[in-house]
Amino acid sequence: MTPRIADMLTYLAGIVLAALFLMPLLWLVSLSLRTPAEVYLGAARFIPEAPTLDNFRQILSDSAFGTYLWNAVKLCALGALGAVIVATPAAYAASRFTFRGKGPVMIGILMVQMISPLVVIIPLYRYLDRLGLLESHLSVIAVYMAIGVPLSVWLIKVGFDTIPQALEEAAAIDGCSQFEILWRITLPLASPALASAFILNMIMGWSQFLVPFILLTRDGQLPIAVAIYNFAGSSSASTTQLLAAACLVAVVPALAAFLALQRLILRAIMAGAVKG
Amino acid sequence: MIKDRRVWLWFAPVLLVLGGVYLIPVADVIRFSFSDATLLRPVTGYGLGGYQAAFSDDSLGVILRNTGLFTLLSVVSLQAMGLAIALLLVRGDRRGLYGMSALRTIVLAAWVIPGIANGLIWQMLFSEAPFGAINSTLRLIGLSPVAWLSDPGNAMISAVIANVWQGSAFSMIVFYAARRAVDPVLYEAASVDGARPVAQFFFITLPQMRGALLVNTILVTIQTLNTFDTILALTGGGPGRATEVLSLNIFNRVFYSYDLGGGSALAVLLLTISMALTLVYLAVLLRKTAR
Repeated sequence: MTPRIADMLTYLAGIVLAALFLMPLLWLVSLSLRTPAEVYLGAARFIPEAPTLDNFRQILSDSAFGTYLWNAVKLCALGALGAVIVATPAAYAASRFTFRGKGPVMIGILMVQMISPLVVIIPLYRYLDRLGLLESHLSVIAVYMAIGVPLSVWLIKVGFDTIPQALEEAAAIDGCSQFEILWRITLPLASPALASAFILNMIMGWSQFLVPFILLTRDGQLPIAVAIYNFAGSSSASTTQLLAAACLVAVVPALAAFLALQRLILRAIMAGAVKG
Repeated sequence: MIKDRRVWLWFAPVLLVLGGVYLIPVADVIRFSFSDATLLRPVTGYGLGGYQAAFSDDSLGVILRNTGLFTLLSVVSLQAMGLAIALLLVRGDRRGLYGMSALRTIVLAAWVIPGIANGLIWQMLFSEAPFGAINSTLRLIGLSPVAWLSDPGNAMISAVIANVWQGSAFSMIVFYAARRAVDPVLYEAASVDGARPVAQFFFITLPQMRGALLVNTILVTIQTLNTFDTILALTGGGPGRATEVLSLNIFNRVFYSYDLGGGSALAVLLLTISMALTLVYLAVLLRKTAR
């Protein structure tokens, strides 16, 4: 097989794969732009003849949807921020110091990563119920934070590992205290790792369903992932186009954040993937 | 080596958070699994009742079979898909072909979609109404429609397809990184010796990526076992119990049937499987770093 033919086959396979992965999203867009009458025409109207933004207008004019989106942003941003803040000192110590018990602790943190939130949500529900802290965003943020901590510790540690210690030693000779060194030298240099941990946590938090679904029940408190699940439960064939628009509204912020920060995220996952 | 105990202060926040949200609850879930508590009633006594009830339940066999089948099909397809795309990307990069980063972006885009949205999107695609995406396309090209979600066997396949569409990106990245780390000299030597691409794949690519394949298999298995939101939104575990996997069953048991003891017993089972896989994973990693 000549390289030219192999290139053609590579392109062909690439196009087929791209189409396969893109189609579900394009179908979603197509549905969300249709009138109910066109929904019933199925694939024949993949490109709507009379595209309409009415579905989005209807979804977004419902003030509840704005609340769901805001709740989701608030929960995942604060959870992600908390995870990074909690993880950073541990990551620094793991990167810079050698001490007895470090290996077991780091492995323990890794193992926590493998525990499904489903296992811990059962007792957590009972504790929070007894403390009267169900229905509270603060509880949900704390759980998101804990879910994000293990990955954050490892990602940020890998980030610290790449910063030469000589820089810190030079600062120490110039009379900086340990805290000053961390705050002024190391953290700014580690900002790509901190940022990618934050963003990965955000994306994971945005997708989170179980935790808010169990810990929150009041409608005005719910984030968008739970809201579209509830919305789907109450929708029917005649409101498919609205459900599609609602799904798109839930998906687009995550997609946009990902597309804008793709390089950063990719580097972080690669670093994580190589390290395990 | 630092002897100073104050070094643990750096770990205090992490230990506090993980202790409160993971360690104590895990201990408690093990305790609950030996108790007769329900979600609303406290523990009044201990025993093996939860395990007995959960394990003698007729549905458990079906659920474990579903879990095994769903996990096996997902893990194999996720990795096959991830490996195929990764190798395609590496080849495209090497030959300077256009659009490779676009393909990578498209595959990754599916990965950031929330599991619930993923289930709902595929429900619209698999819809068996005359206007459902896939079925109306089949009809357009003159084929007969398929019962994607109402037939028990097909529903399992549909759930796997939805899961693979969303999850392939993770394997793709792991394999892409691993493939790029393979020494190109190996391929040069092989082609000088006249090895064809298929032979190169089996005798260089696969053996060189063995570590990545093993690690990825374990990680993807754990991820697949632990998630259920795609299935919940796609089929709700149905038709009947055809797609009800272990994690979804635990969720239903505890939060819809309020069976805390039985749910906790199965949660302990899920935890045990995840931890056993994690130990294998750690053993693999340690051996890799030792070499």
